[in-house]
Amino acid sequence: MNKKAILIILTALAVVLPFFTGAYVLSIFISIFVFLSLSLSWDMMLRTGQLSFGTAGFFGIGAYASALAVANLGLNPILSIILGGLFSAIIAFALGFVVLRLREIYFAITTLALTHVFSVIIRNLSDITGGASGTILPNAIFNGDPKLIYWAILLITFMVIGISEMFKRTKIRFAINSIRNDETTAKSSGIDVFKYLLLVFVITSAIQGVIGAFYAQQFAFVNPESTFSLNFLLLPIAMALVGGIYTTSGPIIGALILGLISEYLKLLIPYGHLVVYGVIIVLVVLFLPEGIFKSVKKLFASKDNVGSDINAQS
Amino acid sequence: MKKSYLLIVLSFLLAFVLFSMSGMAQEPIKIGAVNPLGDITGRQSTNAMELAVAEINEAGGLLGRPVELIVVDSEFRPEKGAAAIEKLATVDEVDFFVGGMSSGVHLAQIPSLKKYKKVTVWAGAASHKAEEAIGADADWYFHLHPWDYQQGASYGVGWNAIVKENPEIDIARVFLAYEEGAFGSDSYKAYAAMAEQASEGKGAFAGVMEEFKGASFKSAAMGGGDYRAMLQQAKEYNPDLFIWAGYDADAIPMLGQAREIGFEPNLYVGAPPGWPANFGRNPLSDKVILYGMWAPALNEVSDVAKHFWDAYVEMHDEEPATYFAPLGYTNIKFLAKGIEKAGTLEKEAVISALKSTKYVSPLGSTLEISPSNIIQNQGFTRQKILQYQDGKQHVIWPFEFATTEIEYPFSW
Amino acid sequence: MSLTKKQYIMLFLLALIILIIALWQPHALIYGIQRGSLYALIALPLALVLGILGVLNLAHGEFLTVGLYLSYMLYERFNLDPLLSIIPVVIILSLIGAGIYLLTIKHVLKDGHLNQLLLTFGVSLILIEIINIIWTSRPRNVFTSYSYSSMSIGNFSFGTYEFLYFFMAIAVLILLQLFLKKTRLGQATFAVGQNPRGAKIVGINVSYVYLFVFTLAVAILGLVGAVMLPRTAIFPAVGSPFSLKSFALAAMAGLGNMNGILIAGIGLGIGEAVIKSIPGAGGWADIVFFGVLIAVIIARSYREGN
Repeated sequence: MNKKAILIILTALAVVLPFFTGAYVLSIFISIFVFLSLSLSWDMMLRTGQLSFGTAGFFGIGAYASALAVANLGLNPILSIILGGLFSAIIAFALGFVVLRLREIYFAITTLALTHVFSVIIRNLSDITGGASGTILPNAIFNGDPKLIYWAILLITFMVIGISEMFKRTKIRFAINSIRNDETTAKSSGIDVFKYLLLVFVITSAIQGVIGAFYAQQFAFVNPESTFSLNFLLLPIAMALVGGIYTTSGPIIGALILGLISEYLKLLIPYGHLVVYGVIIVLVVLFLPEGIFKSVKKLFASKDNVGSDINAQS
Repeated sequence: MKKSYLLIVLSFLLAFVLFSMSGMAQEPIKIGAVNPLGDITGRQSTNAMELAVAEINEAGGLLGRPVELIVVDSEFRPEKGAAAIEKLATVDEVDFFVGGMSSGVHLAQIPSLKKYKKVTVWAGAASHKAEEAIGADADWYFHLHPWDYQQGASYGVGWNAIVKENPEIDIARVFLAYEEGAFGSDSYKAYAAMAEQASEGKGAFAGVMEEFKGASFKSAAMGGGDYRAMLQQAKEYNPDLFIWAGYDADAIPMLGQAREIGFEPNLYVGAPPGWPANFGRNPLSDKVILYGMWAPALNEVSDVAKHFWDAYVEMHDEEPATYFAPLGYTNIKFLAKGIEKAGTLEKEAVISALKSTKYVSPLGSTLEISPSNIIQNQGFTRQKILQYQDGKQHVIWPFEFATTEIEYPFSW
Repeated sequence: MSLTKKQYIMLFLLALIILIIALWQPHALIYGIQRGSLYALIALPLALVLGILGVLNLAHGEFLTVGLYLSYMLYERFNLDPLLSIIPVVIILSLIGAGIYLLTIKHVLKDGHLNQLLLTFGVSLILIEIINIIWTSRPRNVFTSYSYSSMSIGNFSFGTYEFLYFFMAIAVLILLQLFLKKTRLGQATFAVGQNPRGAKIVGINVSYVYLFVFTLAVAILGLVGAVMLPRTAIFPAVGSPFSLKSFALAAMAGLGNMNGILIAGIGLGIGEAVIKSIPGAGGWADIVFFGVLIAVIIARSYREGN
């Protein structure tokens, strides 16, 4: 009951935020939600046991599909965001048949290599994509209205959180968890491992495509250097791990904490703030190896039954 | 009784008005700057802006008010650069935007800049894509750095002049080595277009450039650094003029690799935005020609440049490394001069004042505003041709700033 | 070096391809061997750490960067020739590497790959930024008389310094193999790599072996840094791309296959150089690198799967 109330309050707060803050705070939260959704999508794939390094790649092709559809075909920007997701999903579906055979670091490096392959192809097809200098759009989505942009990304983020929770709560979780924990057993107990892997791969790639498309429409441009930046890979992973993996709350908390800290540090220490950022990451790994979410949860759990647990803990 | 009462009230009122006026006089004019502070270009540009602001305040400020510079780091990340504009506009409530560096970051800032339509004087970002994104209507936008296409055209003018003075110099065959990112590819497109024009007897390179070829390479700054395949193509082409458009990290390795494969063009030209530390100290640098906006050698021919150099070194205890330092200084000084001229902060007045402001800059040339291909308010259009001679950068062209004559041909 | 039959076939195919390219594009062959050897040289220590400790070190390239800057510092301060700075650089960098290992990586060895990934990501951020604060982002170079020496055969000139990368890659590979097979510590390392729990039971000091292997890997990077410096412009992110390239080579060769790294490195180096030397195709060179990588990994998965 209590938990539900907190969730409702938080949701309501997120929805009404634009009425209480200015464009700057909104732009920070827009960025945070972008990275939060990427982070969650990466974590969803990870729950199957597959470590993907392809978030920046599917983000990038979604961004390009959306931007080119608007610039060349005059598609409605909102529809183009859906198109970005669809395009990434189709590519993921086609590649999945081959790539999902791979496991562990081989899957990781292959998805990372695909990111580079996408960006090289796009850079070299300059007649369609604008090449290295990229493509600009006549207008930012919603004419750059920060409130509408905020609500749009909030809606997308809620949907991503919803999908993540669905993966956690519906029957599909048995399949996902059993693949991660022991693929051979999963197979022998009749789970079509490949089918579920493909499903998750396509859905998470679609999310990354939608987010990329949103990003392209928000800033009204795409170019290979910015759009396929490894920031869209490394930061989401860092956020999920700092917050705590295999959960929905972990990436959310990680994205909020790292997103706010990085902006705050920048204003506090104009020169060299990234050192502190790096130190924070290292300290979190060393002292909260399960991520902030689970560590805090444990802390509360042990507080709740101090009497009985305190001896066992020490 | 009544009179004295009135007097007290009046004196109170007067005191209040005076007090509030003096309070208003103390209210600073706020200039918001967005630069990548982790990079030497952004850091030094910011330093130079601080120097300009300090000088203005020492001289009594602007319109009787002090000037405050508020700087936010763009981190070279588009979304951070855009958020910085939002912060400066809504939290700090600045009156003007300045800044520069990286077309990718600037493209992401343009939607925000267009939203606030504050008077903006932007130092960097040379991509014509940024010009397209700004568009023709933005009368509040002033862009100082020459656009990519203007730079190439400017060098055509320069070479025409140099060839006229030195008939032994021939630049009929031109080879452009360009890094495969946005900066290099845009340079290539601009050159290819100019070569086509020149073949019809038109454009800046008409009469000097006859043939043109290009090849791309991966810049060391992007994880490359092996130029030999590209240089091999250049060697086979045997150009009179070899130009490379890449980054500072490419300068010395490319020279060395050119030497080892026996590539020796008569003119070896580099067009990166900055040069590595102590480039002149490297023996390979002799007679290398460079394209740019500024060189320390300008101190010999320009008082403003000399003043800027000395004041910068005194304030920050380091030497300006790239043209972004004097450009940052110019950015603030030019804006300040416009505000002074307008006599008010009112937008239309400042815009029209800036349009007619002429500022003798530490980059040598005088900054004045004219329309470019798309936008109404473009600043510099001309670059300079310089040459390393005995470890020192010298200005070769424009002749009015020349510190020495060209040494020709280039040899190992 | 004992090679399996499969490796002989691979070597034969490689030799055949090299012969064809030598006749068609002699430059590309030389550049490819030189660059590819450098890739392999840098990838070997990454593969060593990945194979024995199971840690994918995202700060791998940054250790190389630190090595380059150490060598540069000795050149600037004491006018020490980069090749003479090898010994001090290797010693200092080993100490830095061991220190970072003891402070951080050691504590996450049991926490799973992902935390190690995040930790080394944090370490790489810190290293890059510290270098940026000390030396700024402005590139630096050293000048030596020998780094751009060249050789000519007829009209065909090429640089000779980078052949050093090739010989060093072979030397490092052979020494590593000898060490793993012939020395006690090496055999212990090998055992730990195969089965850490079993190694512990037979009395091997596993944590000492881990420390040693990590330090050895960093020491190799110090060696490479000092040798690279004469031909490289250095800046804070100079080593970063090598993490990815090394990771790619290690994956392409397959875990634990050190010979494969040299073969993969040279193969990819030549492939890249061939594409680069085709006029107008230079921009596609990366596709070769990553395309071949993907193809090899997937082909192997099919072979192993069947």
